[in-house]
Amino acid sequence: MATTVSGAHSSTVAIQATNDDAAASKLSCVKKGYIKDDYVHFFVRRPVRRSPIINRGYFARWAVLRRLLLQFLEPKCYSSESIHMKKQILSLGAGFDTTYFQLVEEGITPYLYVELDFKEVTSKKTALIEHHAQLKEKLGAEATICKEKGEVLGDHYKLLPVDLRDIGQLDSVMALAQLDSSLPTFIIAECVLIYLDPNSTCSIVRWASKAFSTAIFFVYEQIHPDDPFGEQMMKNLESRGCPLLSLHATPTLLAKEKLFLDQGWQRAVAWDMLKVYNEFIETQEKRRIERLELFDEFEEWYMMQEHYCVAYAINDANGIFIDFGFSENQTMASPSQESQHYESMV
Amino acid sequence: MSDLDRQIEQLKRCEPLKESEVKALCLKAMEILVEEGNVQRVDAPVTICGDIHGQFYDMKELFKVGGDCPKTNYLFLGDFVDRGFYSVETFLLLLALKVRYPDRITLIRGNHESRQITQVYGFYDECLRKYGSVNVWRYCTDIFDYLSLSALIENKIFGVHGGLSPNITTLDQIRTIDRKQEVPHDGAMCDLLWSDPEDSVEGWGLSPRGAGYLFGANVVSSFNHSNNIDYICRAHQLVMEGYKWMFNNQIVTVWSAPNYCYRCGNVAAILELDENLNKQFRVFEAAPQEARGVPSKKPAPDYFL
Repeated sequence: MATTVSGAHSSTVAIQATNDDAAASKLSCVKKGYIKDDYVHFFVRRPVRRSPIINRGYFARWAVLRRLLLQFLEPKCYSSESIHMKKQILSLGAGFDTTYFQLVEEGITPYLYVELDFKEVTSKKTALIEHHAQLKEKLGAEATICKEKGEVLGDHYKLLPVDLRDIGQLDSVMALAQLDSSLPTFIIAECVLIYLDPNSTCSIVRWASKAFSTAIFFVYEQIHPDDPFGEQMMKNLESRGCPLLSLHATPTLLAKEKLFLDQGWQRAVAWDMLKVYNEFIETQEKRRIERLELFDEFEEWYMMQEHYCVAYAINDANGIFIDFGFSENQTMASPSQESQHYESMV
Repeated sequence: MSDLDRQIEQLKRCEPLKESEVKALCLKAMEILVEEGNVQRVDAPVTICGDIHGQFYDMKELFKVGGDCPKTNYLFLGDFVDRGFYSVETFLLLLALKVRYPDRITLIRGNHESRQITQVYGFYDECLRKYGSVNVWRYCTDIFDYLSLSALIENKIFGVHGGLSPNITTLDQIRTIDRKQEVPHDGAMCDLLWSDPEDSVEGWGLSPRGAGYLFGANVVSSFNHSNNIDYICRAHQLVMEGYKWMFNNQIVTVWSAPNYCYRCGNVAAILELDENLNKQFRVFEAAPQEARGVPSKKPAPDYFL
């Protein structure tokens, strides 16, 4: 899709704005009790109350990423010599995500957590981290914070500005962040690649596959642009200035898997979020959150969840990810449609 | 031109009434609605409409397709408010038409015509935003308690927002409900507004909505048979094609909010019945952007971004 320079720019601003939108939605979830996050409120200027369908959808997204990330970080289940293996997380287009701070609080700080985003975003994030002691103290005493560069360099945490479309920058950022290409690495791209042109998306996926021989690449993003709901989604996001430029290149679950396999990844799995919610999110958690709010949006919920997916790709040079992923540890899917009671509301 | 006619013209331009006007309108509407039965009789010809959900400009499309009231006789199956951006204007226009032409428009209650639901799904917030207080929300939700629960067209077609109830086998049982209250959490009145037909259910099943029931084909067959009904016409569930028959044409869902929540990409429908109860579905799409008034408030539906 051709975009003019000015068009591309306004689109960049709009895509950066999706970050504020996502942070506000996460805070809405936190306030309603869907998820625990003691840090996201630092990143939201104007809190809003989202509708139950948005709260539930963000919960599902948070829960699936968290469960897979914890699987990755879990020390014990891999081969005996790797019990305390150092692990890295690389978050592409991280925005105002607070996972690092939450992990530190829970005592499961990974060896290295690297966040990348446009400089406009990392500058804001840097300033907020600098400003709030509860964030700053999580970086360690030696951390350097540079607001001008939009850069944070801590022992375990790095925040760096980059335009992901420039693969050359990715290599230099990798050096700057001291990412170790031999360590197990979990790469996160939540609603990021889908905004880029298909060539950039492919390049990033290929770069990551070459850069990390033991890695998981986690993607959460839209699918199915071609049915009525999908067409409307394409239109609505385009009119917000953030068209889903990559969606027609990877419109289905198979296409998402193929994207990774074609760019050098060993395995890839993609599920839509309806299946993820019904079969992967823990039943107990669902029972809990389904009681939080009155919910009357089922037809829409099914449609919306069918238009988002999680795909993950695996490079497993040392065979440590054999048990990783969806297929494992299922308490057999209970359909999520259990009777709920909302007497406690009002 | 009477005050009421002037108010109708104003509402047709999507301009809300003053708080004092809303109060007076609701008082007049109450006098009319209190006289209606729980199973309100409706004569054919009539045009049946499903959920509107505050999509004012799409309701104007509906009137373009179906004709203006009072020329066309209308039955609205509830869910006038919540979700869309213009619940206030939408409901007040329908209510003003009801007061002006009580025999040419019938409004029955949907599950969103409730104090509890409107606090979650937008009508409460909209009233607060547009009036700076919740008085208008109070007047409107007080009126909701007076809305009829169902309609019976020429003794042959049963109209209801949601569906059936295990506590109800005859229309007379509906007639005995004391409806002038907030929608309860269970029981017959709740079920009429909340239940859904479901292919995979035989008899009655638990509803994922947490209120009402799922009911199967056999339930509908025996209800229609015992009450000498041809079919049930209900709303309550989004159907992408605007209407959907189930159970061998014993029940039909009519949905009248095109591109629901400005997000779903669906078409909408209304069901026109002539004096002999011949059916014609009229399918329509969302109002084009330019029909949404200037300056147009651009809908910005939420996604996961």
